[in-house]
Amino acid sequence: MSRTAETALILVATGLAGLGTVLVNLTQGSGFDAQVVVTIAAFLVGFGGLGLATRRFAPAANPFLIPLVTFLAAIGFTELYRLDPSRAAVQRWSIVVAGGVAAAVLFALRTDGVAVLRRYRYVFAITALGLWMLPLTPLGVEINGSRLWLRLTVPGTSTTASFQPGEIAKLLLVAFLASYLAERHESLSQMRRSIGPLLLPRPSQLGPVMLAFILSFGVLIYQRDLGASLLLFGVVIAMLYAATSQRTYLVFGGALVLGGGIVAFQMFDHVQRRVSAWLYPFDDFTGAGYQVAQGLFAFGSGSLTGSGIGVGRPDLIPAAATDYIYAAVAEEMGLAGSVVVLAGFALLFAVGFGISVRSRDVFRKLMAAGLVLVLGIQTILILAGVMRLFPVTGITLPFMSYGGSSLIANMVLVALLARISHEERT
Amino acid sequence: MNRSIRHLAIVILAVLGLMTGWMTWLQVVVGPDFRDDPRNVRVAAARVAKERGPIITADGVVVARSTANPDDRRVFRRTYPEGDLYAHVVGYSTFLFGDRGLEAGAAEILSSGQDSTISSVFTALTGGDLAPKGIRLTIDHDLQTAAAEALGDQPGAVVVIDPATGAVLAMVSSPTFDPNQLLGSQAGTAGTGLEVDPTEPLLNRATAAAYPPGSTFKVITTAAALETGVAGTATPYDDVVELELPGSTAVIRNFDRRVCTDGTTVTVQEAFIRSCNTTFGAIGLDLGAAGLVTGAEGFGFNLEVPFDFDVASSTIPSAASFLNDLPGVAQSAIGQRDVQATPLGMALTAAAVANDGVIMIPYLVDAVFDVDGDVTDITSPATWQRAMSPASAGQLAELMEQVVTSGTGRRAAVPGARIAGKTGTAEVPDASPHAWFIGFGPVGDDDTPPIALAVVVENGGDFGEGATGGATAAPIAQAVFAAWVSG
Repeated sequence: MSRTAETALILVATGLAGLGTVLVNLTQGSGFDAQVVVTIAAFLVGFGGLGLATRRFAPAANPFLIPLVTFLAAIGFTELYRLDPSRAAVQRWSIVVAGGVAAAVLFALRTDGVAVLRRYRYVFAITALGLWMLPLTPLGVEINGSRLWLRLTVPGTSTTASFQPGEIAKLLLVAFLASYLAERHESLSQMRRSIGPLLLPRPSQLGPVMLAFILSFGVLIYQRDLGASLLLFGVVIAMLYAATSQRTYLVFGGALVLGGGIVAFQMFDHVQRRVSAWLYPFDDFTGAGYQVAQGLFAFGSGSLTGSGIGVGRPDLIPAAATDYIYAAVAEEMGLAGSVVVLAGFALLFAVGFGISVRSRDVFRKLMAAGLVLVLGIQTILILAGVMRLFPVTGITLPFMSYGGSSLIANMVLVALLARISHEERT
Repeated sequence: MNRSIRHLAIVILAVLGLMTGWMTWLQVVVGPDFRDDPRNVRVAAARVAKERGPIITADGVVVARSTANPDDRRVFRRTYPEGDLYAHVVGYSTFLFGDRGLEAGAAEILSSGQDSTISSVFTALTGGDLAPKGIRLTIDHDLQTAAAEALGDQPGAVVVIDPATGAVLAMVSSPTFDPNQLLGSQAGTAGTGLEVDPTEPLLNRATAAAYPPGSTFKVITTAAALETGVAGTATPYDDVVELELPGSTAVIRNFDRRVCTDGTTVTVQEAFIRSCNTTFGAIGLDLGAAGLVTGAEGFGFNLEVPFDFDVASSTIPSAASFLNDLPGVAQSAIGQRDVQATPLGMALTAAAVANDGVIMIPYLVDAVFDVDGDVTDITSPATWQRAMSPASAGQLAELMEQVVTSGTGRRAAVPGARIAGKTGTAEVPDASPHAWFIGFGPVGDDDTPPIALAVVVENGGDFGEGATGGATAAPIAQAVFAAWVSG
């Protein structure tokens, strides 16, 4: 695979976004119009630009990463454009900005590489904490019952921009953990005492787990965000396991999730509502279960080949453009489309884990693994919620949902993965 | 470290793999249940947006068609070019208010088979026809128009049938409505308004409403008497002012509270022509409950009427229910008490007399045609009931002709045509009577085949308390016969 092939694949995926826009237009009576041109332009600048930046600043990077991401974004964008053209217009800007920020990250790391991030470990940890807290300050706003957003007024105008600082915080968390675990993985993995096959950690070894648990529970209590809470804790536990190969952490982590889950269910209405909507969506069809039920209707109505892009009724699904974009895709593109999306994510994660496994440097290895785990756990959490395998957690589907903060964070994530894969080969 | 990372990779990829299987389950295996869930409005919305085949009358007037939305070629809109004239018979297909009439009954023919189901894809791949088909009605547009004009704004119904085939030539219910208003942007308000309207414009009075048939039921009582041999047309009965009903203090009086003829005796024939209740009450008692109910069931009472959409049945209580109720038998014999008949049912009764005692299955769909206009299916007439022998039918036909020439139905007469009929004025407690006319004609005309009809004007219509079958309903029948004869 050459860089030329990568460019070609990005162009194909960009063409897919253009084609999707045309298809949506066709159902509205128009066809090739300005919307198609600006969509292609946004994809070329955002993803094509990131591709060029990779060519220049990380020429040995894995060539599949950016095409796969472009492909997922193209499917998501088509469905978003079909659901809400005005949001799609905002999303086009997000694509351009995200591509630019990711390219800037590659530029910044061009000489020293990701290793430079190790130096700022504690800056990252404190910044991440601060970012998570920020929505709780007066700057934050509550949307749909969760306090995750910052609303900033652009100086001199009445235009406001909403931003989810938690999305950036999860990248900083991974950088911190990778750096911390790269140094401490040996001491964290040595356990002498055991109960049967289960090795017992020393109390000090459980420190990071408990800290992560308290932080996650805090997110659940104060921000009422089940998804971010589980993602945060899941990433910490998975990275601990990756660094130490000690199943003990999985067992303790699992026990804490279970215990915390039971406590949260007893304590919080919003958790109870989500669980009952998950288990009995049709019992409260007009209330809590409505979204889950509409998702199932969308799946069933989509059947094998889907209603056709722009011809279904995904507008009936609450939050179709954000949390439930996967249900909208499944309705209009059918099982064919929903399986292709799953395959796209699977390939992306496989490539990401491959980068991690091939890395010789422990920090880079853990950094890559952490980045893929963030992406993977987030994807699985929201997909499992939409598919009714798990309560709906209310987080975005990476690269596909509407949302600028999420897109920027995930594009930076991919740029970091690309950079690590470049460093591993040089 | 690589080992544990591989483990994590395997777990995450395995979860995605399981999700593929789960999605197959959700979308394909149990998917149809979700798709067809009544709470899933996609089904109704998609159904309404799909193209439906056109409906035309026997003489080619388009009464329902689907037109593509100019802004979205995949979305079709149903329109009813004839407005309120076919509101009940053709009905409507709407998102908010469902389907009614033939649009509901013939939905399978009219709707497109195209959807996103596997079976639809399979049918298309194997060369099956998924395009919606059109329907040609048995309805004659001119006759339908004449019937609607004759009935006017009076609440009621007119049903016209070809007695030889069962083809419905006209079916009018009043008050009516414009089905197009159930499809526009104001559909919700308009439809809800119609639903709560106390005059019940949405009710198809021709098929879904049942009324006491009053004296028109004497056709059935007479047929039962002739068939069982209980009485012939010349059988004399005592001509009394009041028929005392056994086992009660109740009596049956004639409409004008007088004797039928001269106060001595009266033949069945004279009683039929003058519609004397006392005589027919007595015939009912002679027939007995079993004879009367069996006779009525021969005309299709208490039976489900086969038709192109769901219709109500005409009903008479079972013979067993009259065990200790002889007055009930006498009152039922003159079409009162608990006897209920639909206008369609009474049109079929008239048709039986016109067609040698045989009732054909009534139908509305004459032919089905494909997108190219080629007929793919034609309805063949079929027998439903044998109500009486041809001999009895012939005798009854003569009696009914005399009703129009010299009896209560003179206002149904059409110059130059032999018309037969029977009037009815059904008493309704605390309200004006329902005015009926059933009949057929022209009889013995080489050029024009006879039609059979039933007219009912609910609670007297414009005539109010003074309404009678002869004064209120017969002129409407006359207009329909005249329109048919003049062609």
